Amino acid sequence: MQSLLRQSHRLSCCLPSAQIHTTAVHRTFWEREKKSGYKTKLPEPSKKQLIIDGLRDLKKEIKLWRQEVKEQLESDPILVFRPGETDIVFDFKAPDVLDKWTVTTDADHGEGRSSATLELSAAGAGLFHGEVNSQHTKDGIIKRTGYANIRTKRVRKSFKREATYDWTQYNMLVMKVRGDGRSYLINLHTEGYFDLMWNDIYHYVLYTRGGPHWQIAKIPFSKFFLSSKGRVQDRQSAIQLNCVTHFGFSVAAKKGMDGPFGLEIDYVGLEYDPSHREEFAYEMYKTPKYIVAT
Amino acid sequence: MIRKLHGILRLHSTVNQTRIRQRAPTLLARNYATDEANENANTDDAKSSKKNNAGTSRSLPAIRNPFTAAQEKTKNSYLTMVEIFAERDVHRRNHVEFIYAALKHMPDFGVEHDLEVYKALIDVMPKGKFIPTNLFQAEFMHYPKQQQCIIDLLEQMEDYGVMPDYEMEAMLLNVFGNKGHPLRKYWRMMYWMPKFKNLSPWPLPDPVPDDTLEIAKLAVERMCTVDLRSKVEVFQASEVKDSLDDTWIVSGMSPEQSKLLREHSRQKALYIEGPFNIWIRNRRINYFTLRADADAEFLAQLDEREVDEDDVTQIGVPFFGRAPPRRHNQLGKLRSVHHQDDGTIFAICATGTSTKDSLLSWIRLLEAHGNASLGEIPVLFRFTSSLPDKAEQIEGPSNMPAHTRATTSNKEQSDSSRP
Repeated sequence: MQSLLRQSHRLSCCLPSAQIHTTAVHRTFWEREKKSGYKTKLPEPSKKQLIIDGLRDLKKEIKLWRQEVKEQLESDPILVFRPGETDIVFDFKAPDVLDKWTVTTDADHGEGRSSATLELSAAGAGLFHGEVNSQHTKDGIIKRTGYANIRTKRVRKSFKREATYDWTQYNMLVMKVRGDGRSYLINLHTEGYFDLMWNDIYHYVLYTRGGPHWQIAKIPFSKFFLSSKGRVQDRQSAIQLNCVTHFGFSVAAKKGMDGPFGLEIDYVGLEYDPSHREEFAYEMYKTPKYIVAT
Repeated sequence: MIRKLHGILRLHSTVNQTRIRQRAPTLLARNYATDEANENANTDDAKSSKKNNAGTSRSLPAIRNPFTAAQEKTKNSYLTMVEIFAERDVHRRNHVEFIYAALKHMPDFGVEHDLEVYKALIDVMPKGKFIPTNLFQAEFMHYPKQQQCIIDLLEQMEDYGVMPDYEMEAMLLNVFGNKGHPLRKYWRMMYWMPKFKNLSPWPLPDPVPDDTLEIAKLAVERMCTVDLRSKVEVFQASEVKDSLDDTWIVSGMSPEQSKLLREHSRQKALYIEGPFNIWIRNRRINYFTLRADADAEFLAQLDEREVDEDDVTQIGVPFFGRAPPRRHNQLGKLRSVHHQDDGTIFAICATGTSTKDSLLSWIRLLEAHGNASLGEIPVLFRFTSSLPDKAEQIEGPSNMPAHTRATTSNKEQSDSSRP
C-alpha cells in the first residue's frame, strides 16, 4: 500500500496542480521491476571490471555446474523421509552463514528509524537483533512504519540461474529459536514469473516464549496463508512447496511495541510428520465474482 | 493537499471548501484564528464577494478542531463531541473530515481500543444515501471519499486489534449497501481476525495490567512454562536482614532446578546474568537468570550414549556369538530441559528495582527457601549493561522497570548480548 501511495505521489508530482490526486491511485497490476520503486540505484562497475569479475566467478560456476551434472547422472534422490527426523536447511552454526542473509529495515529508504543487525551470538547461533521504532518522517505519504526483516538470498543454480527450493516431501517447518516474548512473522516467499506473483508471500506467526531456554517451534506448512504486499489475499491456496524462493523473518513495532528485539536462531529445518494430514488450514470459500482483490 | 487538511475540522463547509481547493498553498502556510465572531464574518464575507482574493485575514475560513481543544479527554467527552457534530445540522457537512480528525485523536482520549466509539463514528454517516442504485455505481466505488474514509476507520480498528461485531455489519449495510467496499473490508476482517485472535500458545490478558509486579509475574510464569513443575514465588526483599532495597522479587524455579543446584559442584561458580528483555504484549520487563556454564562432561556422555542409526560400519551380526551389550540401555542421568547447550539454568527472576542489592537478596531468599547449597557455591554477577548497586533511582514508567544502558562500564565481566 505504501508503495502504491509512493507511486501515486510521484505521479502527482509531475502533473499540473489541477490534476492532483486526492485519493490513492490504485495500480493493481503492471510493475516496472520487482522492488516496486524501492530499488536502490547502485553505480554499475566499468565494462573492464565486469569482465574481470565474470571470469573470476566462472571458475566457481563451472564447479557448481559440474556438481549439478554429477548429481543428475547419479540420479540418487532421497526417497524416504523418515518421520521425526529434521533436515536442517538454514544452519547458523555453519561457516559464513551470515552472507546468505539480507537485513532490511524501514530506515533503508528513509521511511523510518528502525535498526537491525544479524550476527553470531555468544551461543554460536544467529542473533537477529536491533530496535524497531514506529516513528516516521511526517511527509504525508507514509502512514505507518517500524519494521525489521531478514531474508535469505535467492536460491540459484550454476551460472546465476534462479532456482527454487523443493520442499514437497516435508510438511512441517521446524525451528530452534530463543526469542524475547515478541511474535515474529515467518515469511516464505514464492515469487512467481508474472509481476502479479512477484510479491506472493506465505506468512505465519512465530510466537516466542522468551527466557533463557531454547524453544523448538514446529509449524505445519498447511497453516501458512497467502498475502501480497502485506495484504492477506481473498483467494487463498496452500503453499506450493516446490516454488519457495526466499525464507525470512519480520518483526514490527505494532501496537506500541517500539523498542529492542532479539531473536536467536539456531537452525531452521524441515520435517515430515505422517500424523499431520491437514492440507490447508483455512476454508476456501468461493468468493463472489468481482469481489476478489477489490 | 486536501488530504493534508484531514486533521483539521472545517465547520463552514460549502463555500469555504471550494475556496480551500483553489488556494490550498497559501492556506497551508497560515495559522488560523479560532474565534466564533470571525467565523460569521467569514461566511458573510465569502457569500458577498466570491472574487475576493487571498491574502486578507478576513477571507480565511474558520477552522476549529474540537478534539485538540477539549478540556477533559475522556470517552464521554469524545462521544459527546461526536453527538454534537451529528446533531448540529441535518446535512452533516464535512463528516468525512470529521471522522478522519476523530480517528486521529483517538489515542489522546484513550478510546482506540473501544468498539463502541468506532460504531459511533460510523453512525455519523447518513444512512441510505451512499447505496449504489445501479451496476455502474456499484462497480466504480460510489462515493469514493466516504467509502475510503470508512475503510481507513476499519483499518485503524485492525491495527489496534479491535474486532468488529455483527451490529457493525448492519450499520455498514445501511450506509453503503452490500456492494460497498467497506463491507468487503469488514467481511475480510471478520474472516481473519477471529482466526488470529487466540493463536498464541501463551495467552495474555487484554489489556495487560499496568502494575509492574503483575507484568513481572506474567513474564516469569511465561518463561517457566518450559517446565510444568515450576513454581513462581513473590518475595519481599525486606525479608532479608541486611537488604538495602525494599522491593518485590518474582522468582521462578522448579523442583528439578533445585535438584540440579543440589548436585552442582561446589567449586564451579554460578552466574547471575542479565538484564534480558521479555515482552509481555507491549510491556517490556527485565529479567535475570541464575545459571552455570554447561556441564560439558555430562553432555559429552549423553552424546556417547546416542546410537548413530545411519552408521552402517558396525552392525552386530546376531548369528556369531551374542550381540554386544548396547550402551544406551545402561542406566544414567537423563538430560533435563534446563541443561541447555550454553549453560544450565537454575532460576529466573525479575525484581522491582533491578539492582545488584535486590539480586543479592534474591540469592539469599532462594537459599532460605530450600536451596541451602547456594551458601557454599560462589555466585558472580555478569551483566550486559551497568546496574545501580542499590535503589537510588525512582522506578521508571511501567514498561521500563530497569535502567538499561548500552554502555558496559561495570567491574564485573561482561557477556555478549542475548535476547
